[in-house]
Amino acid sequence: MAFSFRRIGAALLPLALALALVPAALSQSAPTEDRVRDLERQVEQLKAEIAAMKGGSEEGQLAELERRLEVLAGEIEKMKIGEAAVSADRSENGFGPAASKIYRTERGISIGGYGELLYQHVDEPEKEVIAVPLQAKAEDDDEEEEEEGVGDQFDLRRAVLYFGYKWSDRILFNSEVEFEHAGNEVSVEFAYVDFLWRPQANFRAGLLLLPVGFLNELHEPTVFLGANRPDVEQRILPSTWKENGFGLFGQAGPFTYRTYVVNGFDATGFTDDGLRGGRQGGGETKAEDLAWVGRLDYTGLPGFLLGGSVYTGDSGQGIETDAGDEFGVGTTIFEGHLEWRWRGLELRALVAQADLDDVADLNAALDLQGDESIGEKLKGYYLQLGYDVLSGRLPGRNAGQALIPFARWESFNTQDRVPTGYSANPDTEIESLTLGIAYKPIEQLIFKADFQNVDNEAGTGTDRFNLLLGYVF
Amino acid sequence: MFVSVDEALKLAFPGCEVARRAAFLTPEQVRRARDLAGVEVPSALVNVYTATRSGQPAGTAYFDTHRVRTLPETLMIVVDPQGKVGRIEVLSFREPEEYMPRGAWYRQFLGKGLDADLQIKRGIHPVTGATLTARATTDAVRRVLALHRVLGEASRP
Repeated sequence: MAFSFRRIGAALLPLALALALVPAALSQSAPTEDRVRDLERQVEQLKAEIAAMKGGSEEGQLAELERRLEVLAGEIEKMKIGEAAVSADRSENGFGPAASKIYRTERGISIGGYGELLYQHVDEPEKEVIAVPLQAKAEDDDEEEEEEGVGDQFDLRRAVLYFGYKWSDRILFNSEVEFEHAGNEVSVEFAYVDFLWRPQANFRAGLLLLPVGFLNELHEPTVFLGANRPDVEQRILPSTWKENGFGLFGQAGPFTYRTYVVNGFDATGFTDDGLRGGRQGGGETKAEDLAWVGRLDYTGLPGFLLGGSVYTGDSGQGIETDAGDEFGVGTTIFEGHLEWRWRGLELRALVAQADLDDVADLNAALDLQGDESIGEKLKGYYLQLGYDVLSGRLPGRNAGQALIPFARWESFNTQDRVPTGYSANPDTEIESLTLGIAYKPIEQLIFKADFQNVDNEAGTGTDRFNLLLGYVF
Repeated sequence: MFVSVDEALKLAFPGCEVARRAAFLTPEQVRRARDLAGVEVPSALVNVYTATRSGQPAGTAYFDTHRVRTLPETLMIVVDPQGKVGRIEVLSFREPEEYMPRGAWYRQFLGKGLDADLQIKRGIHPVTGATLTARATTDAVRRVLALHRVLGEASRP
């Protein structure tokens, strides 16, 4: 009999531990609470079973109960350590909601990031006029510097940190802070607040990424092929394109949409090379002219995406002719995109066009002459095909691996049409072929190597070879 | 949180009786489930929700909480009496909802069993921008189907 009581004592020790841990775990959010309640019920059940067994149980049953209690204790411990957080809008441990914030930090704050380290070899850099991947100087306002050509480079092009905070399930904050070229430039990539109402309609306000093309919103290195983003999504769609604004987003049936009002471009930054210099980026932006942007996607079939977006608004921001007449520089950009991912296959196609008004007045105001004219029409397209040759692997520790050879064909012209009295510069009409390979040892890490053959009508296009390491966490 | 455990069970099993039991896996069962699934089985305690309608089996539900990127999500995965996926419900998703695939994406799991085709880029189409969620979901479905099979093997005489 004494032996049996020792056994029971040994069984009750982990039970006491389990019961002591339950209150701490109880302060967590609903799914965790449900699990804790389950565990509590099981502990109670086991407690009752032990009570019933006192004085005459079989040794084997007690051993089994001990094992079960060990499992329960382990589960509660894991929840306490791994999911130690509480729901967002109530006081904890006698503190007010703000003071008790620390108790819910793990639930509220979300941290992530991504980065790109690029080695780039440029053939004949002295010839290079506009074939330099703009990402190498992507966010520079100094377009003249871009046009000089930069030769070979080894660059920590981006290190981005993402911070999100959920005040509740319905109100949350999202942001990215980007350090470029090892910290030479710092910018806020986006920072907005979401008010979630229902799937069909939610409100968003802040510094927003415009919902155009594939890459402007989704540009982590693991989600696109090629060391450099497609030029069409830099020259015709000026990614990364962010502006202050507000709007709605949601989904209805197989469709998703986003519609925002944002501050418009500042046309004084436009060049013959495109609209990138007109982006205002959210800092002390001129807001004389606002613009509307909308996007609609069909996502009804898994792996298939078909959609388009339109941006329209004036870009003048109060600019005037020499005679003192204000002109608007109406700017409209539209694009269509298609993605199909089936087994290891990934296909992307995108076509984009921009149309500008008042370009002759703008050229005069900016003192642009001859072939320096800003384009009245800019257009381009690309087609990209890749195949993951490891897509047939069985799941397991290496399931996230991918090895994707790919090819991308691009054609674009930033001066497809210029006003009467101006001429197009042949170096703005470009075709390029990119052949490369991407390897992901895990889902969040990617190595890319590619060769880009770049031709323009002036014969000054230069080829480039790129190596890139990208990460996301 | 989108739905609670009780609400999810009601959605999955209208008009059914649902009984919960705790299954305690032996280390051998954990290993077997891990080998079948090809993914980690982090817990030896599995709560099994068995639904019956007029005494006939209507399905079995499991709740799986796992990390997506840095934050967790909880899924309810229902296994039908034939051992195939009957329903998937997202109970909570702590990451930004941009990382959450649309409803149509989840539907491609329905009717799938535990085989080599049940993985991303084979029988399951990937989704751009929600890659980690897609993989975490696929892993959870494989884990649940493997646990269901292991528990079924254990209950056979």
